Amino acid sequence: MPSTTDNNSKPKSMKRAKEWTAEVENLFRFQQAGYRDELEYLQFKHGVMIEKWPETGFVKKLQRRDNTFYHFSRRRECRDCDLHKVVVYGY
Amino acid sequence: MVTRKHNKASSYSRRVCRATSTYTHTRTHILISQLRTLLLIFGPSSSFNRTTPVYMSRDTSELTTTGFTVKAAMKNYRVVGPPPTGAFQERPAKPTTFRKFYDRGDLPIYLVHGTRPTITWKVDIETLDYNHYLPLFFDGLSETAHPYAFLARQGAEDLLDHGGDKILPVIPQLIIPIRNALNTRNHQVMCTTMKVLQHLVKSGDKVGEALVPYFRQILHIFDLFKDKKSKSSGVVRSHLQKPENIRELIPETLELLERTGGNDAFVHIKIMVPTYQSCVAYSP
Repeated sequence: MPSTTDNNSKPKSMKRAKEWTAEVENLFRFQQAGYRDELEYLQFKHGVMIEKWPETGFVKKLQRRDNTFYHFSRRRECRDCDLHKVVVYGY
Repeated sequence: MVTRKHNKASSYSRRVCRATSTYTHTRTHILISQLRTLLLIFGPSSSFNRTTPVYMSRDTSELTTTGFTVKAAMKNYRVVGPPPTGAFQERPAKPTTFRKFYDRGDLPIYLVHGTRPTITWKVDIETLDYNHYLPLFFDGLSETAHPYAFLARQGAEDLLDHGGDKILPVIPQLIIPIRNALNTRNHQVMCTTMKVLQHLVKSGDKVGEALVPYFRQILHIFDLFKDKKSKSSGVVRSHLQKPENIRELIPETLELLERTGGNDAFVHIKIMVPTYQSCVAYSP
């Protein structure tokens, strides 16, 4: 996850996820909704609170750029075959 | 005179002719019957190895009768079993309201095609009226055609995930769609419905107890298919899919219903599925 606090920062590097973690799961959910990661979502939504499942910490709901909604379950949704599609950005 | 003589002669001859014609007619009959007998003995349907006498020589393969009758005790009759009841025969589902609503565009979802199909909601789920939409999505579980089957299943699971307290008051309206989906006897539909039923039970604390009074309406199919082998038992279709085996899903669902149904759940399950064994250890 990017450690910079600048809201307009752009990523400087990217790599593909190799193994599943909670962070990779959340990245998968953001990328399903059409965003790079949590930072870009906050930039687009201007600081709106991201709803997460209390038990697992996974993202619960995201709003797309066309104002439709993606709802995610509390269980893992990123399968092993989808791992290579998840991009981890470095800032 | 001549005429009379001629008439006499002619009438006599006519009588003779009639008599002879009758005689010849009778003789013809005798010949025909003899020919028929010969045909029976030496004809194509006869058998030289027949042990039964000639007067009983007839093809008995078509002589069938049902059981527990006088004819069933006779030698020449073959007892045929009762006709099949069609208990396991798949029944086509009626057109669902889910399909009608989706085709009209009344549902707030649409399908997104990508590496894996997903559904997108046009509005936030938490603002939806569950009394209207949840039974609608459960009604779509009877569907087998794409994209209705996928949309109904995924939509129902999303609604159950995000429903919270809104699910409990809607349970009585979900029973009929669940029963209709299970009554189709379609393997895929039944597996999907059982998984959604498990999800429903896990979605809230008191949902399991609220389902107990409705076991009589939904569990009769469980008893029917409990010991039936499914066509895809143990066969993995692809490395991404788990095999859907009704014989594994039914006990799994029943155990979940018992665990979450409270003290009376086992009794109600036992009424409908007499061979079910309890999975909960009761303390004396």
